[in-house]
Amino acid sequence: MVDLALPGGQSAAPPAARRKHGVGPALGALIFLFVFFVVPLSALLLRSVTDPEPGIGNYVRLLTDETYARVLFNTFAVATVVTIVTLLLGYPVAWLLVILPSRVARWLFAIILLSMWTNLLARTFAWVVLLQKTGVINRMLMNIGLIDAPLPLLNNLTGVTIGMTYIMLPFIILPLHASLSGLDPSLMQVASISGARPRQVFFRVMLPLSLPGLGTGALMVFVMALGYYVTPAMLGGASNMMLAELIAQHVQTQLNWGLGSAGAFILLAVTLALYAVYVRGIGLGRLK
Amino acid sequence: MLLSLHRMGPGRFVLYGIGLAVAAFLLLPIIFIGALSFGSSKWLQFPPPDWTIKWYVEFFADPRWIQAIWTSFKIGIAVTVLSVALALPASFALVRGRFRGRGLLRAFFISPMIVPLVIVAIALYALSLRIGLNGSFLGFVVAHLILALPFAMICITNALEGFDESMEKAAIVCGATPLQAIWRITIPSIRLGIFAGAIFSFLASWDEVVVAIFMASPTMQTLPVRMWSALRLDLSPVMAAASTMLILLTVVVLGTGALLRRRQAR
Repeated sequence: MVDLALPGGQSAAPPAARRKHGVGPALGALIFLFVFFVVPLSALLLRSVTDPEPGIGNYVRLLTDETYARVLFNTFAVATVVTIVTLLLGYPVAWLLVILPSRVARWLFAIILLSMWTNLLARTFAWVVLLQKTGVINRMLMNIGLIDAPLPLLNNLTGVTIGMTYIMLPFIILPLHASLSGLDPSLMQVASISGARPRQVFFRVMLPLSLPGLGTGALMVFVMALGYYVTPAMLGGASNMMLAELIAQHVQTQLNWGLGSAGAFILLAVTLALYAVYVRGIGLGRLK
Repeated sequence: MLLSLHRMGPGRFVLYGIGLAVAAFLLLPIIFIGALSFGSSKWLQFPPPDWTIKWYVEFFADPRWIQAIWTSFKIGIAVTVLSVALALPASFALVRGRFRGRGLLRAFFISPMIVPLVIVAIALYALSLRIGLNGSFLGFVVAHLILALPFAMICITNALEGFDESMEKAAIVCGATPLQAIWRITIPSIRLGIFAGAIFSFLASWDEVVVAIFMASPTMQTLPVRMWSALRLDLSPVMAAASTMLILLTVVVLGTGALLRRRQAR
């Protein structure tokens, strides 16, 4: 169907039938989001180049100062590690979900959904208690004699990585499962009949075929991990901040809005750029 | 052959191993918190020296927790109603509209999902400091509505796309006005999508932490904000009790959903 240009939404529309199908009904949501979402974000962007003085000083400081550069490095490092670990753990689980008898797969699904939908702070609280110096994990490792002194698992990037991996796992398992269950088993049969060993079948047929799901899942986890606030703030330490914490801190406690909003826009730019890659990968049509 | 268990050979035990380990990893904190909430140790010792329900008693005796639950609930309901009220007409425009930039509009409506929460939070914080929304009921509703809208929009748009418009036209041919047809034919047909959109909108508000932290004031706190400040203060077993009750709520909601789906499948 040809997209008609309808200035003002209706004037060029044929009578009756089409008149009610203009942009009109969406105006409520549109105006609301414009006033409370677009305007505040634009004001924030403006602030990053005007506060305390006009210019790009805030961005220069963020990207050149060693402390801030470290925060940026931490953020990307944690997001990368979390993405890789969730992929390595999530792929076999997604695979199992496809091949297990449905009775068993249903339970595995239930566990994944339960962990995904459990209140974020409840899960984070559990990890704080589990990972602390006197926590269960350290005590167990000491009891079986693996370590002599408690490992520092909390208030550092190790804690953040464990907690984030926990939160992100479902987000990689579910898209991977969707992609793996769409695979045609006969393709792999053909490969193995033609003499490929299982390892070859996996690396040359199954893995390449599941790349789309793998890519979208990984990208989604990476983007989410970059901007995550709660888990790094709770499980991380003051000396090893991530970007979202830095932004919040500058705004909330140091009242340095200029630097905070500059950080926010670096984060937003990276997020949107990666998101554009994502949309290109799956096509805008599926973006429902 | 890689997609069938019994023909996969010994490699499948590696898969089983990883699957079991991941399942245990996912369940560990949930079960652990449940056990701790009934343990008698104030210092969250595990395994607990004795069992008790005193943390639950303490939770319900503390007006701040009850107040926070009530606040969260009221905000959640307001957000749910407004979210569906805005998303339902907007979905009609998105699905049936013939205007330039429809795809763009759809992307715009779900964009609050993409922007990192902390950015939405500080942008709204700046605005609400300026116009005095901070720490107010209205401020919370506005903030959570932004985040809930995409969920309602996705659910209702999908449902409307699956609805056969000719049913509505048939009603009009039979003498109904267009509004009557929508109200009596279309909306009842897509009610499951609307319902799902409402549930997701409520949960988006009920569970939201980051924006709420910035919006909150000492007198106006949602449940997640209360949990956040409790967590920052100390690790108390009362927090474990609160968490366990939230986990139970999740189990009930998920279980009901699964039951409903099974009944529908029959």
